[in-house]
Amino acid sequence: MTGTKENRGPVLGRRRMGNLASGALLAGALPAVSFRSVQAADSSTFVSGFALPMNLDPHQVYDVPMQSMMLNAYDNLYRYEGDPPKIVPWLAESHTVSDDGLQWEFKLRPNLKFHDGSPLTADDVVYSFRRVLALKLAPAGAFLRILKPENVTAPDPLLVRFKLETSYAPFFAAIPSICIVNPRVIKPNEKDGDWGKAWLASNGAGSGAYRIDPKGYRPLEYLDMEINEGHFKGWADNPKPVKKIAYRPTKETSTRVLALLNGTLDCTDPNLPADQVEQINASKIAYVQKDVVMRTFVIRMNNTKPPFDNLNARLCFAHAFNYMGFINDILGGYATRDPYPMPENLWGIPKDAKGYDYDLKKAKEYMAKATAEGAPMKRPLEIHVQSENEQSVQGAQLFQSDLAQIGINLKVVGNIWSNLTTAAAKPETTPDMWVHWVSTYFVDPENWVGQMYDSQFHGTWKASSYYKNADVDALLRKARATVKQEVRAPLYEEAIRKIMADSPDIWIYNSMQLQGFNKRVKGRRFCTVGQGAELRWITLAG
Amino acid sequence: MLRFVLRRCALVLPSLLGLLVVTFLLIHAVPSDPAVAMAGDAATPEQIAQLRLQYGLDRPIWEQFAVYVGKVARFDFGESAFSHRPVALDIVQRLPATLELTFASLLLSVLIGVPLGVAAGLKHNTWPDHLLRIFSVLGVAIAAFWFAIMLQLLFAMNLGWLPLRGELSATLSKPPVVTGFLLLDSIVTGRWDAFADGLRHLLLPAVTLALGGLATIVRFTRSGVLDTLQNDFVFYERAVGYRWPRLVWIYVLRNSLTATVTQIGLLFGGLIAGGVVVEAIFDWPGIGSYTVQAILTGDRQVMLAVTLLVGAVYAAVNILVDVAHGLLDPRLMERA
Repeated sequence: MTGTKENRGPVLGRRRMGNLASGALLAGALPAVSFRSVQAADSSTFVSGFALPMNLDPHQVYDVPMQSMMLNAYDNLYRYEGDPPKIVPWLAESHTVSDDGLQWEFKLRPNLKFHDGSPLTADDVVYSFRRVLALKLAPAGAFLRILKPENVTAPDPLLVRFKLETSYAPFFAAIPSICIVNPRVIKPNEKDGDWGKAWLASNGAGSGAYRIDPKGYRPLEYLDMEINEGHFKGWADNPKPVKKIAYRPTKETSTRVLALLNGTLDCTDPNLPADQVEQINASKIAYVQKDVVMRTFVIRMNNTKPPFDNLNARLCFAHAFNYMGFINDILGGYATRDPYPMPENLWGIPKDAKGYDYDLKKAKEYMAKATAEGAPMKRPLEIHVQSENEQSVQGAQLFQSDLAQIGINLKVVGNIWSNLTTAAAKPETTPDMWVHWVSTYFVDPENWVGQMYDSQFHGTWKASSYYKNADVDALLRKARATVKQEVRAPLYEEAIRKIMADSPDIWIYNSMQLQGFNKRVKGRRFCTVGQGAELRWITLAG
Repeated sequence: MLRFVLRRCALVLPSLLGLLVVTFLLIHAVPSDPAVAMAGDAATPEQIAQLRLQYGLDRPIWEQFAVYVGKVARFDFGESAFSHRPVALDIVQRLPATLELTFASLLLSVLIGVPLGVAAGLKHNTWPDHLLRIFSVLGVAIAAFWFAIMLQLLFAMNLGWLPLRGELSATLSKPPVVTGFLLLDSIVTGRWDAFADGLRHLLLPAVTLALGGLATIVRFTRSGVLDTLQNDFVFYERAVGYRWPRLVWIYVLRNSLTATVTQIGLLFGGLIAGGVVVEAIFDWPGIGSYTVQAILTGDRQVMLAVTLLVGAVYAAVNILVDVAHGLLDPRLMERA
């Protein structure tokens, strides 16, 4: 990393040092100067700043960091590709579904192989799904109610059959969430019938485009992967892929940006703060890629607690949030206003439905109506935020300030995710209001409205407004029991119209992801599932 | 000496048990359910209830404590809710990085702080002493995160002399694990490329972490030297013709270090705690960031194990400090 005098950066002058200091003090407002590029990695190693999952077992953890790892190290029967995301055949070359939606069959491609060279067959798919159902951890959520382990079978080596307990249309949408693992490397490492849980948390057992190097792994700190030359997709579509992926997640924004600017990081994580965009785009070495994703930002209201059990009160709050002020002034315009209870770029949205606008006059009118109906609008209220997440704090503070103007006393309470999800398990412990995002676990309205507003999900954090409307329940249940999208779409549209009329929550925006890239990175393809983390398409210039 | 050390060790056990009780109660007072963290974002209430049952989280707190103490006695610290790996394994992998950083900082603080403190004491109320006093105040007052960013901007970004972050360059493979300490393992396995690279990565975080301790050591050493210089034996030894450097660096320094050694012991605990911020800024793969993650995810097993571990390390260092006191002044050992 040392260099000759010629290729060193300019010497620090007193004024420049002052600039640097003030920039750093402003936490992120780093000065627009060109730093010396040290380019730590060669053109065969991609240094990724994506966050790492809590461990490496894709059947134990299912969140955005896991998606970024599993899309490279594992394969699935079907996979989401492209923008907007389309579900495409992957390990399976086709599938069929019975008319009643209860039996699904997936035909595998021939000659599939795991990283250890052993063949990947239907039996391995059966093992993988049974393992998910046995562990009962995060990715099992979409399947536990509708699939019994014995009903996943392999009639022949290239055919997998699923018999569902009830018709469940989102089943297909959730198929890409399950990675196919290699039982031949897991079984020898099982302990006390744990399905190799402890072992796979730090090792790989996949068939994906890249192979995990267990020696290059420390949880949440770093992970190395090597290319799998024998991947079933081949490499004809990318003759110069990166040979090694080095995950080096950064914890601090300032370090993350500096690492991108001096070339030691090829990409940051996809959650760069908006105030970093200008600084990065001004550099010669890096740029910020902006992509609209499916990740909604919502303020939940506990509909069981007064005054939120009153419709006029809820409408008052819905009109008291300064949506565009928040998006434009705090987020720098890097988000799209989404007045619906799910991403506005997903099917099933009733485009004719109007959302709520910021209008304190209307808010006051609804407040007066709610008060006349006995709602305790003057009761001190609490909004819980994720303290470590600045944006949730800023949103709550903005809301607090507007509500103060109409005489509502809102207290902002700092909290952490695990406490909030614990509290959300019961209506009596759920805060008056709290702030969170809903990411894309699978691309289907079920991921948002289905699980947020069907009362059978009460007790989960997603359904923490404890909203209950029998008509909505019926519509959502009918929609999830119907296979054809053209039949389901109007059902969701109708359900959403009713939900919006009841205003159980405050829906604010759909996210735009901001991710910094080194300019040497070429060929990136974006898909909202995994937030563009699939790296088999990437090449590095130079 | 042996009896003295054994007696100190015996006193550590009840202290650690007390620490465990207090930490256990405090962690359980937080309204967070580890089963929720373990189950993950997309879990159903049934999945969470199953985990609660599986890990005994539905049992009374005293029963949970008894089970935990029994496990700890067998060095079983349970399973992390977020890594789903044995906590002991996670700690064994991470602690060496934290200790390496802590020892490096302490070494820098002592090697630079003691001579500067002696110099300040000898030149008291002159301009070098005034300068060092300003430096001491600044060293304690400057926030580690600010200083760290300044060092990154200067040495990593503008001059390009040192790496910005991490423990080792992404293009280098780690040396085989022998002790877990990267630098030691690099030496033992003859991986001099990894040693040189690791040392360069260590410099900025170590200097950041050392600053506060360095300032404290300068102040305490200066004060100790000033006191010692007033003693009769110094006048006597000067009168009989001892050479001044020998008198200062052997006799005066030895008698001045009691308070400094106590401070070094206290600093060690402070450095481990302060390391949380420094590890986060420099992406240092130690227990600091692991602990922060555990707090944010409500991972009780990790919080308990790390607290106990830091307590044990702190106790061990204090025993060493007591021994050092005894070696510096044998009268203290006799009294104890």
